[in-house]
Amino acid sequence: MTRAMSCPAAMTACVAGIVIAATPAVAAEPICDKSEIRLVNSMREIAQPYHANLDKGGRLFAAWAGLKNYVLQLNQGDSDKQISLMRLLVATNPRCTVFNVEPNADLVVKPMVDAANRSGAWIVTHWAHNEGLHPFDGNDHWIAHIAVDSLEAGVAISTRLVDAMGRTGGVVALQGRLDTNPARKRFAGLQQVLQHTPGVTLLDQQTANWDRTAAFPIMQTWLTKYGGRIKGVWAANDDMALGALEALRAVGLAGKIPVVGVDGIPEAIAAVEKGEMVATVSSDAYYQGSIGLAMGTCVLTGQVPLPASWPKEKREFYLKLAVITRDNAAQYLREPQASDYVADWQCDKLWSRSTGKAF
Amino acid sequence: MTPGNHQGPVGSRPAVTGPELRSWAPLLALIVLCLGFGFAGPGFATLENLWTVADRSAIPLILAVGTTFVILQGSIDLSIEGVMAVSSLTFAMSVLNDRTGLDLGVFGLVLATFAGAGLGLLSGLVTTYLRVPSFMVTLGVWSASTGIAMLLSGDQPPLIKDPMLHALGLGRSFAVPNLFLVAVTVVLLGYALQSYTRFGRYSMVIGGGEDRARLLGLPVDRYKVLAFTFAGLLSGLGGALESARIGLGHADIGVGQTFATITAVVIAGTSLGGGRGGVLQSAVGTLTLAVLTDGMIFAGISPYAQKAVQGALILLAVLVTTWPLRSRLRIVK
Amino acid sequence: MIEPVLRVEKLSKSFAGVRALDDVSFDVRPREVLGLVGENGAGKSTLLKVLAGVLHADRGRIIVRGTPVSPANVAAAAAFGIGIVFQEQAVLPNVTVAENILLGHEHRAVRAGFYDWRTLYARAAAQLDKLGAGISPSTLTATLSFAERQLVEIARALSLEERTRHEPIILFDEPTSMLDANGIETVLRQIERLRQRASVVFVSHRLDEVLRVSDRICIMVNGRCVATRDRAVCNIADLQRLMLGRELDAKYQRQPLSTHGPKVRLSVRALGRRNSYHGVSFELHAGEVLGIAESAGSGGKTLCRTLFGAERADTGEIVLDGRPVRVREPADAVRLGVGYVPAERRLEGIVGGLGVRENMTLAHLDELRRGPFIDLAKERQVVKSWIERLRIRTPTADAPAHDLSGGNQQKVVLAKWLIGQKLKVLILDHPSRGLDVGAKAELFALIREFARAGLGVLLVADTVEEVMALSDSIIVMKDGVVSGRFPASAAKPSRLQILERMV
Repeated sequence: MTRAMSCPAAMTACVAGIVIAATPAVAAEPICDKSEIRLVNSMREIAQPYHANLDKGGRLFAAWAGLKNYVLQLNQGDSDKQISLMRLLVATNPRCTVFNVEPNADLVVKPMVDAANRSGAWIVTHWAHNEGLHPFDGNDHWIAHIAVDSLEAGVAISTRLVDAMGRTGGVVALQGRLDTNPARKRFAGLQQVLQHTPGVTLLDQQTANWDRTAAFPIMQTWLTKYGGRIKGVWAANDDMALGALEALRAVGLAGKIPVVGVDGIPEAIAAVEKGEMVATVSSDAYYQGSIGLAMGTCVLTGQVPLPASWPKEKREFYLKLAVITRDNAAQYLREPQASDYVADWQCDKLWSRSTGKAF
Repeated sequence: MTPGNHQGPVGSRPAVTGPELRSWAPLLALIVLCLGFGFAGPGFATLENLWTVADRSAIPLILAVGTTFVILQGSIDLSIEGVMAVSSLTFAMSVLNDRTGLDLGVFGLVLATFAGAGLGLLSGLVTTYLRVPSFMVTLGVWSASTGIAMLLSGDQPPLIKDPMLHALGLGRSFAVPNLFLVAVTVVLLGYALQSYTRFGRYSMVIGGGEDRARLLGLPVDRYKVLAFTFAGLLSGLGGALESARIGLGHADIGVGQTFATITAVVIAGTSLGGGRGGVLQSAVGTLTLAVLTDGMIFAGISPYAQKAVQGALILLAVLVTTWPLRSRLRIVK
Repeated sequence: MIEPVLRVEKLSKSFAGVRALDDVSFDVRPREVLGLVGENGAGKSTLLKVLAGVLHADRGRIIVRGTPVSPANVAAAAAFGIGIVFQEQAVLPNVTVAENILLGHEHRAVRAGFYDWRTLYARAAAQLDKLGAGISPSTLTATLSFAERQLVEIARALSLEERTRHEPIILFDEPTSMLDANGIETVLRQIERLRQRASVVFVSHRLDEVLRVSDRICIMVNGRCVATRDRAVCNIADLQRLMLGRELDAKYQRQPLSTHGPKVRLSVRALGRRNSYHGVSFELHAGEVLGIAESAGSGGKTLCRTLFGAERADTGEIVLDGRPVRVREPADAVRLGVGYVPAERRLEGIVGGLGVRENMTLAHLDELRRGPFIDLAKERQVVKSWIERLRIRTPTADAPAHDLSGGNQQKVVLAKWLIGQKLKVLILDHPSRGLDVGAKAELFALIREFARAGLGVLLVADTVEEVMALSDSIIVMKDGVVSGRFPASAAKPSRLQILERMV
């Protein structure tokens, strides 16, 4: 992993950013010294490429910003653990700590936001949240919630799938963990598309809990049960899609039946390029793993005013999606570097990937 | 007065006059389950699905055989998932892959299996010679192994590129899935060990009365270590074969297997207290779970309800298996 | 002077301050049967265990054929040619009989770790044949009866014959106490046969048995061998005197009870339980001791367990003090005032890990409490008085119960029930099993004393003699039905009369 910019260049960019950010009428006092700032990435695990990239993004940012204190918190799918790990850390120096969180399940968001509010730590959440819970409702330490419109993602891949199927035939669906927002919303996207595509039917749906090893035998059973009626495979994430793909490979159907997934992990992109998968959606893990930290750093160094004064659409917004298909797969295969994201990390450009609407 | 017959294989069946329903109950339950699903879900009762179920049960069968010996002795092995993780990574990184330059082929399989055996040996040594209860030792090994696997995996799980091994994992020989053939071999080997070797018989003895065995000067510690090593070896084999099938080395490859394996071993009559049950019972239990999962998909049971249904059916299976023992089991813990 | 094959010199062993073996010395000559007798707690069992490697002596020497040995475990003792048949059940239930017999010394039957079942069964069968036991070596041990398992254990010890170069020394620790007449006969014949090529140390409470098979008899008192007698020159009375240090008259011959009251404590009508007994009816009066004579397996034990609620009857009814009752589980029985002293005290009578005090008060904590707490002072006082009254030999009131000798454990169990104020019926299942003469006499005296106080006592006893000695009225059971009755009012039956209804 080469650093895209040298240190002096980085500092120049930072200074430039500060200068630009200093011009608007509302700048703020720095809350913390740079050496005190602690960056935390809280996620499920590190074995999946998606999460590995979240972590990589975070580290890239820390290196670029010259911040030494970077902590990775893994909860292994245990919601209680995610919450308690945060509580453990805010016991010391909460004021200068920024949490960038991939919630394990919808229900962890409120406890973690409460922990931030109480201790004075700062938190940015991604993906899931409870309906009715918003940063702008007095949760002053909840800097922002960056959502990915899972419904839009689901619609996007489902559209590509039914098109690849010739808008006719049966589709089987592998759902993610049923108690998570992304799982539900993505599946809703599929259902929405199917409603408008009378020629395509949903033969069956099962949950493989985001797991490749679980998806494999389910796909096997489906192949036995439905045989040639399966004309398309829908999976709520790339890992499950790849597991299903192996099952297809075992019976010589890899590449012959369209498969879609979500996440944009390298293996999936490679499969898309090969034609074994039709589409995936990049949530750009590098971005997600770093943007929250960037926001927090900007707040703590006083380069942006306190979040309480931000407009609603800056506290809660959807990310623009990038759908990866055969046409554009090649460009996504390259290993990302800091230079790709520096623009997004500028304190006045933090919302450059927002779709602009709040919800 | 001359004693009765000297012949006949020893096994789980005692020589009593009345029909010993208890030992047949698990098998009957399995058959009933199959029939039930056959009616509830069209397509279930086909040859093709038979092989699907066989394939699904292959790795769990291998794991169950190893765990059986540990449980027969009255101990427990909670480290299955961790050992599978380490062996999965070891395997993936030794054969042709996209991370290391190695291409050891089948030897990679051997290496991974030995890695598993090594971890099992560790569990065995700590629990027997340091006298730490197996529950805690194997829990620790689980944790440590998963950590090691995660370190090996780094940020990118190694993808397996060896076509021969991938074909082994996915392919069939004479219409029977390869992995199932391996599993059947392991089960038969396990049964032979249990009934015809000192390792097997002394495992029963240890489970039935460890104090007595020690009193008689039997090398109990040696056989306990052996059981854990054997369990680790088979967990290692299982992890490697699962990797061959899925196509990559993954620290999560065994997630859920500990609970599933112990459930499978127990529902068909192997007692967690030790001294009762065996490899064949564990095999029946494993097949029952595989049929259950597969059958629920065929029967169209909603994924939201599957866990509840699975739990209920397991409870029912345990009740059926232990019903005849009720009067003897005055005390239940 | 014949060179002894086994010599014990000043062996000592203490448990928690109690001297179980106190400089005991004796020797065993080649090809002799040495009988070992003594009161309960005299140290016989402990001595055998030390010789067999189960326990280690604190001091002293064991010399086998001139060489001092100190066996670290049973296998080591076996290597020196010493084998033991334990008093309590020690076979493994979940393996075959053959495996139990040859456990640890399968030798040829297991080659390179592989079991040659045919050979294993054949070798085991050879041992079983010696006993004439009709047990198949491939049987799962769990399916055998208690007596059959004992035979397997004996066969195990006998296999020592095949294993040692020299002639073995086989120790028998109360091998006959759990067996019926047939079984006892078999064992005694075996011991007599063994004399031809082994040395035997034989411990039993039944002095007639000891006198029958032994060449010499060593009498143990308080952990030492106080006398050794040649069999030819002594009889039971002599032995008793040496054991007790005093003349024992027919103390435990039954004293005729004047009459018991008319009040019926327990009435049983047409009680039946599938595969055990049926149509059993009798009445037990206050102050009466009713004895049940039966040969093993005739249902007497199960009947007792039914009355206590440990088993469920299928038909019939139980009436206690005039009121029909349902005894579904032991808790019911305790509440109703029924106590039960079981036959297998180690398994069912005491809780080994708990102390004497806790064991004693276990069943009747209710009567010793103040609010939700146990009145400790009261408990201690009650326990102390019972220890004295029953003369229970224990280092302290809190010593773990499993450390006590068999007879003293039995007394603790008895005390447990007698402590209860509202005890109406006491059921005794082979109460004097494993007790020596002195302890037995004490026990019987106590039972009679409590019966006189208004208790109804139901008794299933070991031998006809005991039933006759202790009971006011007798019923005989055979194959699950009552085959004879001898009420108290009628003339006292002869031994023959009872026996012929039993078999």
